[in-house]
Parts: sequence; C-alpha cells; structure tokens
Amino acid sequence: MIQHYLILSIILFCLGILGVISRRNVFTVFMSIELMLNAANLAFITFSRLHLSMDGQVLALLVMAVAAAEAALALAVVILLHKHKGNLDTNVFSLLKG
Amino acid sequence: MFAEWLFYVFSVLSVLGAVGLVLFRHPMSGAMSLIVTMISLAGLYALLSAKLIFVLQLIVYAGAIMSLILFIIMFLNIQTSDLPEEKGKLYFLAGGVVLLLPIASFLIKVVKSLPGSEATIVGKGFGGVKEVGLVLFQDWLLPFEIVSILLLVSLIGAVVLAGKRRVGK
Amino acid sequence: MEHTAAYLGLIPLLPLTGALVIGLLYMFTCTTNPLPEKLYGALACVGPLLSFFLALVVFFHLKGLPPEERFLVHNAYTWFAVGDLHINMGFLADPLSALMLLFVTLIGSLIHIYSVGYMAEDKNYGKFFCYMNLFLGAMLILVLGSGPVVMFVGWEGVGLCSYLLISYFSEDTNNVLAGNKAFIVNRIGDLGFVLGMSVLFWAIGASGFDYLSLRANAHNLTPAIGITVCLLLFVGATGKSAQIPLYVWLPDAMAGPTPVSALIHAATMVTAGVYMVARFSFIYAHFPIAGSVVAWVGILTALLAAIFGMFQKDIKKILAYSTVSQLGYMFAAVGVTAYSAGIFHVFTHAFFKALLFLGAGSVIYALHHQQDIWKMGGLKDKLPRTYWTMLIGALALSGVPPFSGFFSKDEILFSALATGHTGIWFIGVLVAGMTAYYTFRMIFLVFHGAPRDKEAFDHAHEPPAVMTIPLVILAVGAAFAGVLNLPAIFGGSLNVSQWLEPSLVEHHGHASIWLEIMAMLASIGVVACGVYIAYKKFGQGAEEPVFTGFAKIGYYKFYVDEIYNAVFVQPYKGFGSIISRFLEPKVTDSGVKLSSWLYQKAGTAFKALQVGYVRIYALYMIIGLSLMSLFLSQTIN
Repeated sequence: MIQHYLILSIILFCLGILGVISRRNVFTVFMSIELMLNAANLAFITFSRLHLSMDGQVLALLVMAVAAAEAALALAVVILLHKHKGNLDTNVFSLLKG
Repeated sequence: MFAEWLFYVFSVLSVLGAVGLVLFRHPMSGAMSLIVTMISLAGLYALLSAKLIFVLQLIVYAGAIMSLILFIIMFLNIQTSDLPEEKGKLYFLAGGVVLLLPIASFLIKVVKSLPGSEATIVGKGFGGVKEVGLVLFQDWLLPFEIVSILLLVSLIGAVVLAGKRRVGK
Repeated sequence: MEHTAAYLGLIPLLPLTGALVIGLLYMFTCTTNPLPEKLYGALACVGPLLSFFLALVVFFHLKGLPPEERFLVHNAYTWFAVGDLHINMGFLADPLSALMLLFVTLIGSLIHIYSVGYMAEDKNYGKFFCYMNLFLGAMLILVLGSGPVVMFVGWEGVGLCSYLLISYFSEDTNNVLAGNKAFIVNRIGDLGFVLGMSVLFWAIGASGFDYLSLRANAHNLTPAIGITVCLLLFVGATGKSAQIPLYVWLPDAMAGPTPVSALIHAATMVTAGVYMVARFSFIYAHFPIAGSVVAWVGILTALLAAIFGMFQKDIKKILAYSTVSQLGYMFAAVGVTAYSAGIFHVFTHAFFKALLFLGAGSVIYALHHQQDIWKMGGLKDKLPRTYWTMLIGALALSGVPPFSGFFSKDEILFSALATGHTGIWFIGVLVAGMTAYYTFRMIFLVFHGAPRDKEAFDHAHEPPAVMTIPLVILAVGAAFAGVLNLPAIFGGSLNVSQWLEPSLVEHHGHASIWLEIMAMLASIGVVACGVYIAYKKFGQGAEEPVFTGFAKIGYYKFYVDEIYNAVFVQPYKGFGSIISRFLEPKVTDSGVKLSSWLYQKAGTAFKALQVGYVRIYALYMIIGLSLMSLFLSQTIN
C-alpha cells in the first residue's frame, strides 16, 4: 500500500524529466523542475511515514527552502534573459555549442 | 477505506496535473495544472500524517512559489505569438517515454522489493509543528542554518541579477 | 695560508661584481637619465685593479713557499654532485696560474684605464664596461679553475664576452656577422674540448676531476685514449686560440673596439688554448705524437698567418694576423714540450701585442677611425709618445734583442732545435723574418714618410694621458719583460722556467751552447734582413701597390674564407634547407600532422553531439541513466 505513494512519486518524477527534455519554453522547463522536487518530497515523506521517523519531513522542509531559493534566482535569470533576447525559447540560449 | 479512496483521487489528480504541465502550450495553463498537482500532493502529505508539511506545501509551494511564478509570467506579458514553436515536441515526448520506461520500471522494481506497511493515519505525536520543530532544531540545526544562508545568498543574487543597472557603469 | 687561499675566490668575483653593478646601473638608467661616463669608468677600473692587487698578494705568498709546495686550493662550494662525482667550484693557484693571473689582471687593468679614454663619447659606455668586466671575471675563472669543468665555465664565458664585444658596434651588420662567425667557429672548437673532457673523465675521472687528481692518475691512460684526449683538447685550443683550421674568426674579430682587440683577441683570451695545453702538460708530455701534431699545426699557422700579414692594409688586421702567427709559435713551443717557453711567450706577447693594439688604437683615435695604413704616414711627429711606444712594441714583436720578444721567441726556437725538430726551427726562423718585415712595414707606413691623407694628418693629435700612460707602462713591460727569463748564455738563470717548474711536466732537450749561439745569430740575422727589406721598400715613403700574382692571393688570404664558405658553409646550408624544405615538412611532420588531423576529424564528429542546448545534455544524461537501469534491473528479481 505504502509502495503506491512511492510509485506515484516515480511517475511524477518521470513526468518532470519528460517536461525538461521535451519542452522549449523556459517557464515550463522551470516548472517541470519544481515538479521533480515535489516528487522527491513525496518520496521523503513516504519514507518518513514508513519508518515513523521525522527526519524525512525535515528534509522535505529543507527541499522547500531550496526550491524557494531556486525559484527566486531562476526567475531573476528568466527576467534577465527575456530582457536581453526578448524570447523564452531555450534554443536561443545556445552558447554552449562547440 | 476512505483514506485509500482519497489516495486514488489525489494521485489521479496529481498525475493529470503533471501531464497537463508537460502538454499545455502556454506556461500560464501549465502553472495552473501544476497548482492542481501541488494541492493534491498536499492532500497526500496529509494522508501520510505529515501535518506540518501539508500546511507548508499549501502555503509555501502552492501559495508563495507558484504565485511568484504566475506573477512573473504575467509581468512578462506573454502572448501566444511570443511562445516558441515546438515542432519536434511529440518526437521528444515519445522518445522520452521510451527512455524513461526502463528507469521507471527499474525504480518500481526496487520499490516493490521494499518492506511494505499500511498507510494508516498516525495520530498525535507525529508530524506536528512541535515534533518536527524539535527534530529540526535538535538534529538538523546546522543544515537549517546553512539553508538560511542559502536563502540570503539567493535573495542578494536575485536582486543583483534582476535589479536595474545604472547606465554607464 | 688559509686566508690567502680564500682570496682566490675573490679575484674573479671582483670583476664579476663590477659587471653586475655596471650592468644593472646601465640597464635601469640608459633610456631615462644616462649616468656620467666618469662613474662607469671609475667603477669599471676598481674591480680589475683590486684583482691585480690580490693577484700580487697570492703571487708573493706562493713565492714565499718552497717550490714543491707552491699550490693553493680554495673550494668555494660544491657546484654539483652526480652520484660519486663531486664537482667543486674550486680555485687553484700554482706557479702557472699565478703567472697568468698576474699579467691578465695587470694588462686587463691597463686596458680598462685606456678604454676610459678610447671609448669616451660612445653612447653605450656602460654596456661596454659591463662586458669588459664580465670578460675579465670569466678569464680569471678560466685561469684559476681547479679542474677542467670550472675551466670550461671560464672558457665559455670568455667566448660569450668575445662575441658580445666583437658585435659591440651592432649598427653595422658586418660587425654582427663577425661576432657570429667567431661564436660559431669557437663552438666547433668547444665541441672538441667537451669531447676531450668527457673522454678524459671516462678514462681517469673516477677518483676526482681536478688537475691534481688527474695529474696523479695520468699514468693510467692508455696511449690510444691519451692521444685522443690530447687531440680533442687541441681542437678546442685551435678554436679558442685561432689555429689552423679554425683561425678564420680572429681577423674578422677586429670589428670590435680596439681595446677589446687588445685585451681579448691579443693578450688574454686567445692564449687560453696555450694555457690549457700547458695545464694538461702532464698528459701531453707523455704522448710526443700528439705534441708533434700540436707543434706542426702551430708552426704552419705561424707561417700562413705571417704570409697573410705581409699583404694586409688594415692596421688591425696586420696585428690580428701577427697575433695568429705568434700564437702559432706558442703552440709550437708547447708541442715540443717546452711549456715554460710557450707560457713565457704568452707572457711577453701579452705585453707587446697589447701595446701594439693600444698604439694602433691611439692612431685610429687620432685619425678619427681611419684604419687603412695606405692612408696614413708621417705621424711620427704628430704622435711622438704613440710612435716611441709602438716602436718598442714592434721591436719586441720582431724579436730584436734585447727586447722581450727576442728572449721568448729565441727560447722557443732553441727548444725546437734542441728536441730535434729541425723543420719547425727552420720555419720558425723564416717566420721571424717575415714578422720583422710586416711589423716594420706597418711602422714605416704609419709613422714615416710623407702624410698620404693631408686633411686627416692635420687634425691628428696625441690622445689624452689616460690613454698614453697605459702605453708607457706596457712599453716598459714589452722592453724589459725578457729579463725575467734570461738564458744562461746571457748570465741569467731562466727564472720564469724555474718558477713554472712545479706546475709543468717538461722534458728539456740538451744541446751545446754553440748550437744555441748559432741559432740565435741566425734568427737575429733573418730579423735584420726583414727589417732592412721593409726599410728599403717603405722607409722613404711608398705608394699603395697593385697586388698581382702571389701577393694578390696573399692579400685575399689564399681565399680560405671563400673555400670554407664553399666547402662547409654552403653544403651545410643546403643540408639545412633540405631538412627545412623536404625532411621536416614532408617526413617528420607528417606523423604529427596525421595525429592532429585524426583528432581534428574526431573532434568534428563529436562536435555534432555538442548542440549547445541544455535540455539535449539532460537528454544524454537520461540516455545514460536509462541504459544503466536496463543493466541494473537484470540484477534485481
């Protein structure tokens, strides 16, 4: 029964990955990452319940804090990129090309 | 029985929300469906007896972070014509599913091999503000402080990156 | 005892410090605010003079010791140690190096003083004195080194300074080319020297590689190795001391300033080869065959250079060929194992040849850089001090008794005769006559007769005292240095030879006193003939002749430079161009190019993967993860 939570977490995580690799919209990519963080959180809390230990919940708390920090920075970067390129397409940002 | 029923409702909702996020073309729609996912996840947390996290998921994630994202999307005033044309999206989706199937099946195999337990609701003394707070400030004090520094740094970083620059400097 | 030995390290260190100080001062001030010349001049003379003083201290200290204990060793520090081999930065003073030390520092100091006047108005004044001090330091290391390796440091050091000073007037490409020529020709010789040193080390170097240990082990050399060592070292000497076949650089080296020619290319550096052979007398004396080679090469060089000298018209070239010729004498002497005679000729030659060069420098200075003797004449009254001192130098060079050159040259010729080398003696006497002829040809053309260039003659004036005083001191030396080594028939007792006795391994020939007198009379007669012919032809004024026949070939130096160019330089250049045009680009580079081409192609192929989109990189991660999962899921049931 409790495994179902974990399977749900895996499915959500895979959907997050799918969003990251298939979408070109910066916002969607960013939200897919948030989705992956949430999936991880679900796994943490499930394990916390499984072992009846609250360390998992604390970790989920920390992940939330990190997600908040990430959101602040990532959105700042998105604004900056939009200012410079006037575009939200990730394919525009291809400075890594060899 | 009721809890199990609730679990299926929430999980179907959250998967639908996630699929919506991946498929919707406009980020606003994607954000809305992500909020659905997050709220259903909050319900799942409650089913797992994590009361504090349930509250925080609603307030911080579904509330603060998502409204920040929505605010930025609206701030940039994105029209449909601004959005990138994603011609190969379906190929990527199909390829991605093919690639992810082995990973998912492997992980599910691993999960299945774990010792199971009934997900009954645990009553008092688990997952409340007091209990989590005690664990947080006793065993996890240093990571907690580090995270506070991380938040400060990201705050400054965001100001530096997105703040207006004086011309000529 | 102890602290006198400690001075030995100080002797080369003083000029080297001078070079460092002057060099730094010059480097930091030459472009912004040039320092006054007087400062450089004073700084430059301090080191050599103090070294001379210390050399005197060392000399008198050695003189106070019993003859068999006359050596001082000072090991400053261990230079390097490889396995059991410890090479010390050591200095050795024995009678031989003390004698060299004395005249090198004395003549070095005098020439530094002279240069203060001669180089005045030169814009690179500081650089010049930096090089000069550096040279003197290197020469002193060469002389004082306690083993072949330390000697080699000085050997290369003087070579470098020689190069720097020959190309000193670097505005003219010819001077730079002359410097290059000297440097390259010396490299050929140095290769021989290094090889000789290596063979020597391989053979008997195991128990210490300094002169004292080598001397103790010299009897272990087999004849084949010994002769090889001797000949290889002699190749080094032919380079440094301008002997056949490597003499060609010395006449060209006259492109440098005249004090440089006097100090480096007449008095000190070029005699390093003779010094080296004398140093290794403990090897050369055992192998008469090697000695004969040395002697014959020496005397043939003397003959060849004397022939060239008779037809030159550049005053410095005449002196250069005369230097080559006199060096030939010295090698003839050390070749017939008359080491003390050779070193004594080095000693006297240093005085009179430095004197002649400095005198020529005065003439050139007075005539504003005119070096063609056919444009001079009648300067006797204009430059009286220069004339008289140069006359003394010329008499000494020609070997007219009782000037110093007579005694040293006669000692050499007599040694050749006494050891049975009649052929060498005969050529030597002939060369003595030729020497007298070309020396007095120069004196008569420069100082006697009527002025050929009226305008230059009118402007000529005696140079300042700072230049003439060294001339006078050198003239005194050139006139009387011979007294130090008076042979028995003049009532002397060969003082210098006795002094050098502990350092050298000599076999004295024995000949009757009548033979000695006969030989002496013969050489005096030939010299007189030479002077007389020169007087007949040039004494009353003569016009520049048009060279024909043999004279023309002699003037063009038997076309040796051209032959070398055709036989060695051009094939070498051709070989080089084969390498640079064909071998390197086509053969050796192709492997390198192939590998770089492969990497380039592989890079281009992999470049396709580097699309630059972050999500594609994420996709790659997922692919990897997926494959890993496929593999791992087989391990889980």
